[in-house]
Order: sequence, then structure tokens, then C-alpha cells
Amino acid sequence: MLTYELSMLLRTMPKEELAVVLKRASTSIFNQGGIIRNIDNLGARKMPYKTSNHGVVHKQAHYFVISFTAPPSKLVTIESECHRDVDIIRNRIFKVNENANFECTLEEELKPPPYRPEVIKMIEDARKKGKKVGKSTFKFNTGLDYYPFQR
Amino acid sequence: MMQNPIYFLLKQSRSTGPMLLPRLVHSSVTLQRNAESGGAETSDMPIEIENPFKKEKVVCILCKMKIEPDYKNVRLLSQFVSPFTGLMYGRHITGLCKTQQERVASEITKSQNAGMMPYYNKEPEFLEDPKLFNPDRPVRNHEY
Repeated sequence: MLTYELSMLLRTMPKEELAVVLKRASTSIFNQGGIIRNIDNLGARKMPYKTSNHGVVHKQAHYFVISFTAPPSKLVTIESECHRDVDIIRNRIFKVNENANFECTLEEELKPPPYRPEVIKMIEDARKKGKKVGKSTFKFNTGLDYYPFQR
Repeated sequence: MMQNPIYFLLKQSRSTGPMLLPRLVHSSVTLQRNAESGGAETSDMPIEIENPFKKEKVVCILCKMKIEPDYKNVRLLSQFVSPFTGLMYGRHITGLCKTQQERVASEITKSQNAGMMPYYNKEPEFLEDPKLFNPDRPVRNHEY
């Protein structure tokens, strides 16, 4: 099972009501066989753009992020349940980034074009394409060294 | 080997200690012969070392500082965004490697989608953040 993050913007309201909404969201995760790993409170702040949801225009929101583990097939259900909640303005589920192992290729990218590995590969591919590997020209088998018919 | 007088004298001087040597007129021929006779035995032959003038590998700022771009870190992502359009600057301006540029771009779209970052501008509170690059002086010219 993979780890996901449910980012939610809640309507600004007193603390007790926030707890109730969070409880509702977490029970919907538990009901789908998920496990909650962490709940982060990112605080209440002005939203970068106004959002209208459930017939109300919101300009402020309370930001929460729940990191959880759940079967991937149940994510749609969790998302739709949060979507139907009147107190949740916006919710998104993202997969948590795995630690990527890669080398920084900036040095190669700063080289002049003919020395860049990707350009070298492109030139090689074009050369191969020009040769038409595996294709041969049609032979008439007339035994003549010229084309006998009108062109 | 022993027929070469210069080599013989040199070898003796090494075993016995400092010793006056007759001044010789160096010609390319004698020098070459010395090199041939000495071979690998002489200690002043060139040794193989790594190039001391080799330049350090150029690394982009996120790879250097080992920073993972995250959609919750709006302040970091805003540094790569134009304050006029809200769009991310190109690779020729940000100076990031290809992988990091793609990662930052995807995190910006995630952040905007989750309602944490604006689409069409930069948050006014982040406008005075330190500049990582100068958009007027790109690292390379634009492709087109």
C-alpha cells in the first residue's frame, strides 16, 4: 500500500467544529480500510484565490494535510466523501514523493550543443533514419541495366 | 647499461653520496640515450596523478543543497515563479538541471491545484524574498 496525502481547505470556524470535520474525514478513511499516519495543521490564512463551493464564496480557509495509507482503489470513495462535505472547501489527494535517486546533469546541459549527450543521440538517430535500416530498393529483375519502360 | 659512463657515475653518486660530476655538454642524443638506459629504474620519471587543474562539477542549486521540492513549501516554489505572470521561469533562467526543473514544475501545479499558491501572480508577501537568479541575465540564450 502506498502513502498518500489528503490536503483539505476547511471553512473557518471554531476549534471544536474543526475537530468534528476532521473526525468525519478520518472516519471516511478508516471505513475504506486506511490507516492515518499523521495530521498536519498548516493554519488559517487567506486563500490565494477566492473559491466558491456549496453556494458560498470563500476567501479564507483553514489548511490541513492528512497523510494516510489506503488501498488505491478506495481513493475515489474517500475523495468523493470529502467532496460532499459542506465544511470542506477543497480537497486533493496526492501520492507522497519517493526519494528519487538521480545525478545532476547540469554540467552536460551547459555544454555547447554538439557535445551534449542528448544532441549526439538525436544526430545518431537521424543518421539511422536516413539510411533506412532494414529497407531495400525494389529490383525489377529484367536483366537490363536500364529501365525499359516509359517513366 | 654499465657501458654508459654517465649512468655509471650517477649510480655511484647515489650509493656513495654527493660527488662532483664532470660537466657535460647536453645534446639531445645523449639525453635520449640516458632515458633509454635508465628506463623505469630512475625515480624522476613522470608519475600518473589526477589532473590537478580539473574543474569542479557544476551542480544546480537544489541538487547542491539537497532540497526536495514539495507542494506544501509555497515559499520555495514562489522563488521560481514570475511575479508578473505567475508562470514558472524556463530552464535557461532558473539554472536548474532538467530533472529538478520538471519536479519543481509539477510541484507548482500540485500546489496551485490544492489552493495553496496563486495561478496568475506571486503572493505579495514573497515578493521581497532573496532572488536565486536574474531573469534579465539568463544562464543561456533562449532556444528560439
